[in-house]
Amino acid sequence: MEAVIQRAKELLEQGEVKAVLGYAKGTGSARRPHFARQAGQLDKLVMDEACVQNLAVYVTKHEVKKLGKVAVVALPVTQRAILQLMAERQLRDGSLAILAVDDGAVKELDSASALEEHLALKAQVLNAKDKASLADLEAMDQGQRWAYWQKELSRCMKCYACRNTCPMCYCDHCTMDCNRPQWVPVASHGIGNLEYHMVRTMHLAGRCVECGDCGRACPVGIPVHLLTIGAEETVHELFGQRAGHKAKLDYALSTFKTDDKESFIR
Amino acid sequence: MSRIGVFTCHCGENIGATVDCVKVAEMCKDIPGVVHSVEYKYMCSDPGQRQMQEAIKEHKLDGVVVAACSPRMHEPTFRRAAGDAGINPYMCEMANLREHCSWVHEKGEATTQKAADLIRVLVEKVKHNEPLHPIKVPVTRTAMVIGGGVGGIQVALDIANGGHKVVLVEKSPSIGGHMSQLSETFPTLDCSQCILTPRMVEAAQHPNITLMTYSEVEKVDGFIGNFKVTVRKKARKLDEHLCTGCGLCIQKCPNKKISDEFNEGLGTRTAIYVPFPQAVPNKPVIDTLNCTYYKTGKCKVCEKMCPTNAIRFDQEDELVTLDIGAIVLATGFKLMKTDAFPEYGYGKHKDIIDGMQFERLASASGPTSGVMKRPSDGRSPETVVFIACSGSRDRAKGVPYCSKICCMYTAKHAMLYKHKVHSGKAYVFYMDIRAAGKDYDEFVRRAIEEDEVKYIRGRVSKIYEEDGKLIVMGADTLMGGEPVVIKADMVVLATAVQSNDRSEELAQTLHVSYDSYGFFAEAHPKLRPVETNTAGIFLAGACQAPRDIPETVAQASGAAAKVVGLFSNEELTREPIVAVVNRQAAPVYSTCVGCFICQGACPYQAIEQEEIMARSGEVIMTLARINPGLCQGCGTCVATCRTKAIDLQGFSNEQLYAELMTL
Ligand SMILES: Cc1cc2nc3c(=O)[nH]c(=O)nc-3n(C[C@H](O)[C@H](O)[C@H](O)COP(=O)(O)OP(=O)(O)OC[C@H]3O[C@@H](n4cnc5c(N)ncnc54)[C@H](O)[C@@H]3O)c2cc1C
Ligand code: SF4
Ligand code: SF4
Ligand code: SF4
Ligand code: SF4
Repeated sequence: MEAVIQRAKELLEQGEVKAVLGYAKGTGSARRPHFARQAGQLDKLVMDEACVQNLAVYVTKHEVKKLGKVAVVALPVTQRAILQLMAERQLRDGSLAILAVDDGAVKELDSASALEEHLALKAQVLNAKDKASLADLEAMDQGQRWAYWQKELSRCMKCYACRNTCPMCYCDHCTMDCNRPQWVPVASHGIGNLEYHMVRTMHLAGRCVECGDCGRACPVGIPVHLLTIGAEETVHELFGQRAGHKAKLDYALSTFKTDDKESFIR
Repeated sequence: MSRIGVFTCHCGENIGATVDCVKVAEMCKDIPGVVHSVEYKYMCSDPGQRQMQEAIKEHKLDGVVVAACSPRMHEPTFRRAAGDAGINPYMCEMANLREHCSWVHEKGEATTQKAADLIRVLVEKVKHNEPLHPIKVPVTRTAMVIGGGVGGIQVALDIANGGHKVVLVEKSPSIGGHMSQLSETFPTLDCSQCILTPRMVEAAQHPNITLMTYSEVEKVDGFIGNFKVTVRKKARKLDEHLCTGCGLCIQKCPNKKISDEFNEGLGTRTAIYVPFPQAVPNKPVIDTLNCTYYKTGKCKVCEKMCPTNAIRFDQEDELVTLDIGAIVLATGFKLMKTDAFPEYGYGKHKDIIDGMQFERLASASGPTSGVMKRPSDGRSPETVVFIACSGSRDRAKGVPYCSKICCMYTAKHAMLYKHKVHSGKAYVFYMDIRAAGKDYDEFVRRAIEEDEVKYIRGRVSKIYEEDGKLIVMGADTLMGGEPVVIKADMVVLATAVQSNDRSEELAQTLHVSYDSYGFFAEAHPKLRPVETNTAGIFLAGACQAPRDIPETVAQASGAAAKVVGLFSNEELTREPIVAVVNRQAAPVYSTCVGCFICQGACPYQAIEQEEIMARSGEVIMTLARINPGLCQGCGTCVATCRTKAIDLQGFSNEQLYAELMTL
């Protein structure tokens, strides 16, 4: 962390960046995002096991963009999200200084191509817990799985915390807020909840960077991240494409390749 | 409140026998917004249409639902009629009571109910319809023809004679294509060069035609009437304006042993060459792969010889971008090579040749000046075996289709051989004789009856060499599969006609579809055989499927007629069923977030980027914008856009929602 703080200090003092986004201590053992706009605010930065949130969700916000160039302390999930956001033209290439922290080491990356190169070096592995949960779901038959999700989603109160914490759910006008026509009802009830989560899953299939923040954000503990991560894994299995790995948009659901496997289309 | 009229058609018995149309018309009167509902035996008939038009005026209708057959059948009819009666044509919709109801259900209460429901859905749609206006796009009246074979030449001449400019792009140094290599042509045996050369010259001299030989299409942007085509003019290493075609350079080039493509490897040429004496344009090119100067840095004999100083060793390829209104593809075919046949020795026997090589041997301008000499030792072959369907109709060779021209040219070859070697024996192995065409069967009969060519129905399983002879092992299936062994001096394989090299790449550049064999696909196999699925791009000749000359030329004239038809308008009108990305007042501007995922999904490259600028000139956002000239209204982008920023005009989200919700 010393190295990160040192470099961040230089960047701030030389005026290369207007703010540094990282993690600070929150209530209890939790960590919260921290924006340091002066060098003096940098010593609050921490980096430990408890830092899990995908900070990329903040960098697309108008308020943050308005600041100018920002340095981001970036875990691999944050790096992937930033790269995908650049591919989707939500972030300008070069608008961020990325302080990549993987396994203790720090590396400064300031372009999409540098990110792409950096990410290509490491295989993306799903954490053991999510992997096990997905396997459990996979082991169910279709009826059981349907019943499981209906039961889980019946608790959803449509607070949209899952959407708001998702770095890829950056749409200013989410389909859920579209009321002409009102495809998905506003109120929380069985069918509507199911519709919302199916829509979100499809919107993230091939775009989800697998941070799991949506599941963590849910106040009633619905593991909604298993929907999006599950869909992302399926896309990867079928088309070999993954979100957050390419500087140029490479989205399985809007492209085709002549050698795409089609064995699953029946 | 809408004033909608519903017109239910019996379609004779087609709908009337299954659906109770009188009851349907009655039921429709209760749909909110419907002020007039009637039924009639044949709505599409003249009195039917008139009835609708009168009702529009009398009841001041602002929308119409015709409940009849498929909109594919009669939507234009009824929209025109509605338009003539004074309402916007796009306020008229069709409910498909025939294909979607009466043809697929039994007569009964439920069927009648479904018919009424279908109408209710469409009434709901009409309520949400907006008047639409045809899109007008200007037309650049210059055509591009890609491929300068007999097909391409014909297209170019026909369009040019129609008074329009044509750019003819040919990848090889001369126009002419395969026909320029042929000796004589079936079914009349007239000399191929003699009938083709005048056409080539005419094309070169036509004031409306610009030839771009030794050139290839690199990139195509734009849309019907407004293409932008980038052509790569490969460096001839020569100033075409200075060169007079005197040929001194060719005579003096020391590098004379290069295998000659025009003679199918049966002759040689120099490093600076024109492919054949009648070439158009008659200007050489330097083959840089074989030229001594490019290999060793020394030579430049041609440069010294050239009286007009036309040689340019440092010339580079040139990229030219042209404005084009319509494109015709006429890139022809290629022949399967003899090395594709393990059973016939993988092409290693010099005396096993393909049909085009035979053409060169038989041609007066060929390497033997038309005298029959076999390639290995130059002796006159006494026995020649011709094998039709070599590779064609053979799934194992990946060519299940019939190459169509081989039966005819094999008969021609056997005949030409007999005319040249009177004492010789000619055998043809065949599967079936396919000689459908004017004077075609008579031509084959002549080979069999007058020229005594021996036809054997069966296949050849193996050929091997023994004592300077080729031992051909076949079977005669008309004699119960009896083995036939022929000791031949030369074997001619009528190898399969295949799509040209890199045709798939070209198809992708032009965004036209192709079949699994790489032949370009027509828009409809029967009714639109010269159009592609991409508006403004047409097809001629063997690039679409194996074709002989008469068919190629006929199709070429067909394609030219389409282009001239297109060019007879100053503007094109297009159906306004196109996608639109919404725009709203500042500061929202649009619900589009500018992710441009739709851009990659659009099969027609219709989606562009639009920068929304502040007064200061600063770019506030970059949004998607759909070019209405290019959009084909497929709706793919609508499905891809997460924020539902795109609507297909005439099929908007609100319309579809209203339709669904009424059920
Ligand atoms: C052995 C043999 C004998 C035949 N004998 C007869 C006969 O007796 N009578 C008869 O009616 N038919 C005969 N045919 C058929 C005849 O050759 C074809 O019908 C005719 O050549 C088709 O003309 P085309 O213009 O479509 O194609 P082609 O003749 O193949 O011409 C295509 C042209 O396009 C050019 N080209 C290809 N790709 C590109 C590109 N990407 N960019 C620019 N230019 C390109 C090529 O260089 C070529 O000049 C014979 C065919 C064979 C193989
Ligand atoms: S759910 Fe879909 S539309 Fe809504 S914010 Fe997420 S990606 Fe955008
Ligand atoms: S965070 Fe939980 S409760 Fe809130 S919308 Fe998402 S799934 Fe529903
Ligand atoms: S997919 Fe939708 S949001 Fe994205 S650029 Fe296209 S129109 Fe805009
Ligand atoms: S409707 Fe189809 S053709 Fe038109 S812009 Fe959308 S994807 Fe392209």
